[in-house]
Amino acid sequence: MAKLIQTLISGLSLGSIYALIALGYTMVYGIAKMLNFAHGDIIMVGAYAAITVVATVGLPPLVAVLVSIAVCALLGVTIEFLAYKPLRQAPPLSVLITAIGVSYLLQNLALLIFGPEQKSFPTVVSLPTIELGGVYIDGITLATLVVTALIMIGLTLFISKTRMGKAMRAVSEDKGAAELMGISVNHTITITFAIGSALAAVAAIFYGAAYVYIRPTTGSMPGIKAFTAAVFGGIGSIPGAMLGGLLLGIIEQLSKTYISTLWADAVVFGVLVLVLVVKPTGLLGKKISEKV
Amino acid sequence: MKKIIALLLAVLMVMSLAACGSKQETAANETPAASDGDNDVLLGLIGPMTGDYANYGTSVRNGAQIAVDEINAAGGVNGWTFTLSTQDSQGDPDSAVSAYNKLMDDGMDVSLGCVFSGEATSVITAAKADDILIVTPSSSAKACIEGNENAFRVCFNDPAQGTASADYIVDNNLGAKVAVFYQSDIDYSAGLYETFKAEADVKGLEIVSEQTFTAGSATDFSTQINAIRDSGCDVVFLPIYAAEASVFLTQAQGKLDNVIYFGCDGLDGIQTKVSDLTMIEGLMMLTPFAADAQDDATKAFVAKYDELYKAIPDQFAADGYDAVYIVKAVMEATGKTPADADFAAALVEAMHSVTVEGLTGTMTWDETREPNKAAEAMVFQDGVAVLFAE
Repeated sequence: MAKLIQTLISGLSLGSIYALIALGYTMVYGIAKMLNFAHGDIIMVGAYAAITVVATVGLPPLVAVLVSIAVCALLGVTIEFLAYKPLRQAPPLSVLITAIGVSYLLQNLALLIFGPEQKSFPTVVSLPTIELGGVYIDGITLATLVVTALIMIGLTLFISKTRMGKAMRAVSEDKGAAELMGISVNHTITITFAIGSALAAVAAIFYGAAYVYIRPTTGSMPGIKAFTAAVFGGIGSIPGAMLGGLLLGIIEQLSKTYISTLWADAVVFGVLVLVLVVKPTGLLGKKISEKV
Repeated sequence: MKKIIALLLAVLMVMSLAACGSKQETAANETPAASDGDNDVLLGLIGPMTGDYANYGTSVRNGAQIAVDEINAAGGVNGWTFTLSTQDSQGDPDSAVSAYNKLMDDGMDVSLGCVFSGEATSVITAAKADDILIVTPSSSAKACIEGNENAFRVCFNDPAQGTASADYIVDNNLGAKVAVFYQSDIDYSAGLYETFKAEADVKGLEIVSEQTFTAGSATDFSTQINAIRDSGCDVVFLPIYAAEASVFLTQAQGKLDNVIYFGCDGLDGIQTKVSDLTMIEGLMMLTPFAADAQDDATKAFVAKYDELYKAIPDQFAADGYDAVYIVKAVMEATGKTPADADFAAALVEAMHSVTVEGLTGTMTWDETREPNKAAEAMVFQDGVAVLFAE
């Protein structure tokens, strides 16, 4: 029994990180209708920004969090302006390929600037590990879960209640009609990228706190897993991203414990295939009726 | 529009043809120049100099460079001096073969092989047709030198390390129950695990838990750590590389107390990777080179390395250093130089009879072309690896 509970907790710990990253993915996809494959690498940049602030400049960790969020938001907006905006009218495939290009660009820039060696993430907050009857719960797991849930609620409210949120939903539904209604599409998408990338910085802080070591390729695998989580939960759906992330983490850890560490990824992606066969829009995804 | 594209393509084709032509020409010009009496023995080394595993490649290169400089300063061998040419492979076997071909075009006289096993296996197969001595410093998979009678090794091979580790744990009574944590998608780690398990069965060492991970799942080890904790082991055998081991040790902090961590040469350099040196306190590793050894050769090497590269050399650096001195030893034993037609054949012949006193031990080679030398274990105390004494 303790083993099962411990596994579920490990799953929540891993899943909460996936969920946090998936929120950014799904937010950008839901509004700009593009898969920003560079999202994982923005996380990596956010982590390096925090490391640089603490280790090189010597500012306190809390400042590092703010700097990291600012750097990522700025980076997201810059990438959008330089790489995606000129392709607004281009077919989705061109945008997708560009996003992959941006991802490699960021990875290799980081390789050039910070070198290939892994760097240790500074301790932003030190949370104790709680032991309850042979079950260990990391403080950082609880913190990640709480923060992810808060962000999920905040984002949902933002999109459903505010003027900006309304504009975002309008842009997501029909760019042309939104433009005619007096909404600045470019401005709205820029804000979307700023928020999505700021979320990546938050993910970077929690990733760094949980897994300590950062490399130029750090963002790629969690990025892919989080993308899977977003699709699993229903891409474009904010609660779906959270649900998908947590489930993905739990399934992964359960299969590692009870099936085999070798088979974990096969099981995770097998479940994904099953879900998509039964429910093509993901767990919480809305059915999209194509306009003809 | 179509015309412009057609024109562009035509221009590109002409340019690529021109590029081919010029390349062949330079190659043809360089080859005679290289073996043309400039009295320089060109040693070629291939390894990851950039990328995730750059520390291993640069260590070997730095070690080899020190040996080359020392030998040249002392007047060279048989009237010839050494030049080291390093090619970056980023740890990729295909790039390694291109790098080998580049070195052959440059007129390489002796190959210092490859830093990594995957690279070495490809290169040594590709080198079979060429008449060249290969002294590979740190590539440890068994297959690395198989099928090429001209290839010799400086470090222990993987099976030898796995067997030696099991023997060492038993002989020194480190514990009766062992958990193994290894990376299942790389030859090095899986190979070590196989031979460790075989020897453990022979010696009555009980393996209570076998946990694995792959390159794609190397961030979260919590389930594996839980399983290892539940197994009640005394020793955790870690036949993995330092980067992954540092992640493992960080996550195991406070969860795995009272166990001994035991690894092999892959853990070299771990003290530069962990965020906190306390987590490697008591970590043991099987390695033939210790930077704190008190013999004169090691002391001089460590001082020189620190002066040039501002770091403490690891086993990879010592392997690189030894590889160059092995080449020197066989050249001295035969008196041959690259000017002789039977240079490579004579050197290969001599490899079976020389004895080389290197930093990594006193080595001889029999018909298996593996080094015969003693294995020792190091233990980390206050962040420094020292020789383990009972």
